[in-house]
Amino acid sequence: MPFKKLLWAVCAAAALTASAGVSAEEYVVGTGATYRPFEYETPQKELVGFDVDLMRAIAKAEGFDVKFINTPWEGIFATVDKGDRDIIMSGITITDKRREAVDFSKPYFLAHQLILTDKNTKIEKLADLKKGNVAVVSGSAGDVAASEAFGKASTRIRRFDNTPLALEELNQGGVVAAIGDVGVLAFYARNNPDKHFNMTRDPNFKEQYFGIAVKKGNKALAEKINAGLDKVVKSGEYNKIYQKWFGTDAPKLPD
Amino acid sequence: MGGFRYEVITEYWPLFMEGAKMTIQITIICVVLGVILGMALGMARLADARHAPWRQILKYCVRWPVTVYVSFFRGTPLFVQILLMQFAILPFFIHPTEGLLISGDLAREIRSTYGAMLAGIIAITLNAGAYLSEVFRAGIQSLDKGQMEAARSVGMTYWQAMFHIILPQAFRRMLPPLGNNAIAILKDSSLVSAIGLAELAYAARTVAGASARYWEPYITISLMYWVMTLALAYLVKKMEEHLGKGDDNR
Repeated sequence: MPFKKLLWAVCAAAALTASAGVSAEEYVVGTGATYRPFEYETPQKELVGFDVDLMRAIAKAEGFDVKFINTPWEGIFATVDKGDRDIIMSGITITDKRREAVDFSKPYFLAHQLILTDKNTKIEKLADLKKGNVAVVSGSAGDVAASEAFGKASTRIRRFDNTPLALEELNQGGVVAAIGDVGVLAFYARNNPDKHFNMTRDPNFKEQYFGIAVKKGNKALAEKINAGLDKVVKSGEYNKIYQKWFGTDAPKLPD
Repeated sequence: MGGFRYEVITEYWPLFMEGAKMTIQITIICVVLGVILGMALGMARLADARHAPWRQILKYCVRWPVTVYVSFFRGTPLFVQILLMQFAILPFFIHPTEGLLISGDLAREIRSTYGAMLAGIIAITLNAGAYLSEVFRAGIQSLDKGQMEAARSVGMTYWQAMFHIILPQAFRRMLPPLGNNAIAILKDSSLVSAIGLAELAYAARTVAGASARYWEPYITISLMYWVMTLALAYLVKKMEEHLGKGDDNR
């Protein structure tokens, strides 16, 4: 009997020390890898991009691990709600409507919506587009902008699953304009100079910020991410990552 | 879950109605065109002759290409075919600058107003034609050889025999699988939402994307698809009863 108790105690102690020695907490990050330069997949099936680098830097600053899983944009908010992902970071614009569904970190990127039009179409604002259709990513901030201009149920809005499909439709002439984040659309226009796309910022397009989203109510994780973001900005790492992907110094982020 | 939020559906109801209309349009067009294509291809698969050179000509120029066509369209996913049609094949023929068939401003007009619908209808029709060719082949082959022999012996040509004797009888046998394929076309039309065509599944995806609610839109369109399928099945049943009027116990 005493021997059994001893065996039990030894096993319990071993288990405790083993779990204490285990590496730091790992969080699963969902990201839709069709959003160059924020996140995309290389031919070697590696996930790279501004968001990926920033998340890795935040994780290093706060001492936790992150694992990235390519998650389609269509159901990405549901994955963090159901617990399939701990964090989602996919160039997600912070909006009041989305705040009802998830909790956001502090803003980590300054952006605005951009209208990309084919070379024959020159407009000052979205309302100038009298005929022709626009391509957006379904449920994105561009979708919101288009819905505000043309009406939610308008069939002039062609919604696609992801940005490459929407931009390809513009490329092929199926639509006259595409609306999306400036970071992604300007990158695409620069990489396709022969197409002579026109870029327009509608005066109604306000400044928007990207945020990192966690499950609603998970304040602890959001605070962790905020602390990590502050450290990364203060240390200059944020500016370095920004310069790597965008070639200019980063603008100041709001508090 | 927070209960069933009707508002998200009522907000977008016009899109659901537009979508249902588009789905029904696509289904009718694709079923009709698919049946015609399937009939032509099914008969082509059975084309044969007793003597050279027709025997070789029919084998290599009619039966063999059709077999390859059916194999390709049954062997690749319809989703892939739709994307290929929209982004690769159709632009090859209809393009403002380099279109083989139509170019210039007309091409631009067609592509922006009807592009997605055209791509979807063509892809689904070609796909359905492949499956329906096998249905027609089965129906024709299931008839007794004596029917064709009797028809030829009273002096009918091959085509007269086909259209007056063989196909009408075969049609009755083909109705159940034809109905199956028609229902499959109805539901396959939901794949065209991937290229941004405003049909029923597109309306649900739009609502889900805008509101982050998944119960309401998807249950709604499930019910709508089910009702449409029931209507189609009823139509097929009525046709079967009409064709079976002379039978006993009906």
